[in-house]
Amino acid sequence: MNPIEEINEVVDVVPIYRGHASDQFKCVPWKMVYRGREVIFTQLGMRHPTEKGKRMIHAFNMSDGVNDYRIDFDAERLIWTLIYVMGGDYV
Amino acid sequence: MYKDINKEKPMMMFIDLNSAFATAEQQAHPTLRGKPMGVTNRISKECCVIAASYEAKKLGIKVGMRLSDAKAICPEFIMLETDAPKYHRVYQKLVSIMKDYSPKIRMKSIDEGVIDFHGMEPTLNGKSLVDIGYEIKQRVKDEIGDWMRINIGIAPNIFLAKQAAGWHKPDGLDVIDYKNLRSYYSQMKLTDLTGIAERFEARLNSYGIFTPLQFFAADEYMLKKRVFNSITGTYWYRRLRGHEIDDNETNLGMIGRQWVLRDPTNKDELLRSYLSFLCETTGMKVRYRNVEARGICVWARLRNGESWYAKRMHGSSFYTNQEIYRRALELFNQKPSGADVQSMGIYCYGLEPSKASQLSMFEDIAKKDWVTKAVDEINDFYGAFTVYSATTIEGKKVIKQKIPFGGTSYFELLLKSA
Repeated sequence: MNPIEEINEVVDVVPIYRGHASDQFKCVPWKMVYRGREVIFTQLGMRHPTEKGKRMIHAFNMSDGVNDYRIDFDAERLIWTLIYVMGGDYV
Repeated sequence: MYKDINKEKPMMMFIDLNSAFATAEQQAHPTLRGKPMGVTNRISKECCVIAASYEAKKLGIKVGMRLSDAKAICPEFIMLETDAPKYHRVYQKLVSIMKDYSPKIRMKSIDEGVIDFHGMEPTLNGKSLVDIGYEIKQRVKDEIGDWMRINIGIAPNIFLAKQAAGWHKPDGLDVIDYKNLRSYYSQMKLTDLTGIAERFEARLNSYGIFTPLQFFAADEYMLKKRVFNSITGTYWYRRLRGHEIDDNETNLGMIGRQWVLRDPTNKDELLRSYLSFLCETTGMKVRYRNVEARGICVWARLRNGESWYAKRMHGSSFYTNQEIYRRALELFNQKPSGADVQSMGIYCYGLEPSKASQLSMFEDIAKKDWVTKAVDEINDFYGAFTVYSATTIEGKKVIKQKIPFGGTSYFELLLKSA
């Protein structure tokens, strides 16, 4: 019923930092390695900040053209976490 | 017949981010774009659609419809749970864009706001409000996301600007002024007017008013003395003619929280835990607004269709969770026992500015204040409900913070618990 598959696992991410882009596109994940599989992102859906107590978390909604991924960057601990995957085949 | 129409240049712009939560989810999830989907607070078989995408609306899926009914209309319908930080980001961006055009902006709710352009003409550089409207639409796409669509209405007052924003959905931009006012009303039904639902429609019908044009043509005396039998009739008379009636701030009268039980129950232990949770969230809101309350009301709707409430005004003011719960429990214990409770709630009233910074002469009162302050600081640092009272445990398991539709006063507070 719920199209979201929760993962909550720390993942390896290669981000791109762009010096002259607008605020929301300065740092964008480019690819991620999840359980040995490489996922290359093709689209940024939305980025929004959120908080865990006083810890700043940057939430990225990314897509590889088939599935949607939500990955969070913990700005204090400097780790990337894959929060969930929304399967394109489901939708 | 059509006297007193406001012929002022339209200077109010109403911005409506339609299907805001659903569109924000489609923006965030590219695979959902162009598909019938909706958003709810917590997914269950019988949960309700609180926002539906345009694609879902086209199929007849409406806000308030149960998931099972929506699936019956469209088996491919997708439901997601709300994500407050995402909507807050959209809200913040929208406010920031609006503030670039006038300091006089007012958010009416999370997804709609008004820009007042009175006195701003020198800063518009000769651009018309229609040009600015299209510019704002483009900025929303550039700065929030290319899937975001807004409706814009421009008119001499907030009511007509809101009507104009809803004229051609989605992605519309319309102007209503004295020139096209009659033509606009002639195309609408009474219930298309904001504030006129079935009951008001029936009342208007009983006085021979069946269309907005007839409503518009009715004289002020008749509306005030016969149809509405109050000053509301005058307000409607002026509102329909483009005069500003709705540009007023409302005072904070009460603060509370309610909860609809998924499984109606009469078990006192469970109900007390739910009450304790509602008291804790109310206490958070009371302290967030920097006020104290003197009055408290507890109410419940029962499965047998009856309802019950008890309220009391106290001599001393209170603001701590413990005090709110203690006073609420006194009232709750008067509830008739046995009947299953379907929904329940509490609210505090008799609000006055907080005196929390004043030192108490009595050590036991001071200790309660210190505990409240310490718990608030811990929850502020680690996230809401990191520390909470033992009586709340069961309530905390089932009650979820919901997205506030009516206003944006508690959005920051909600984000701490998201």
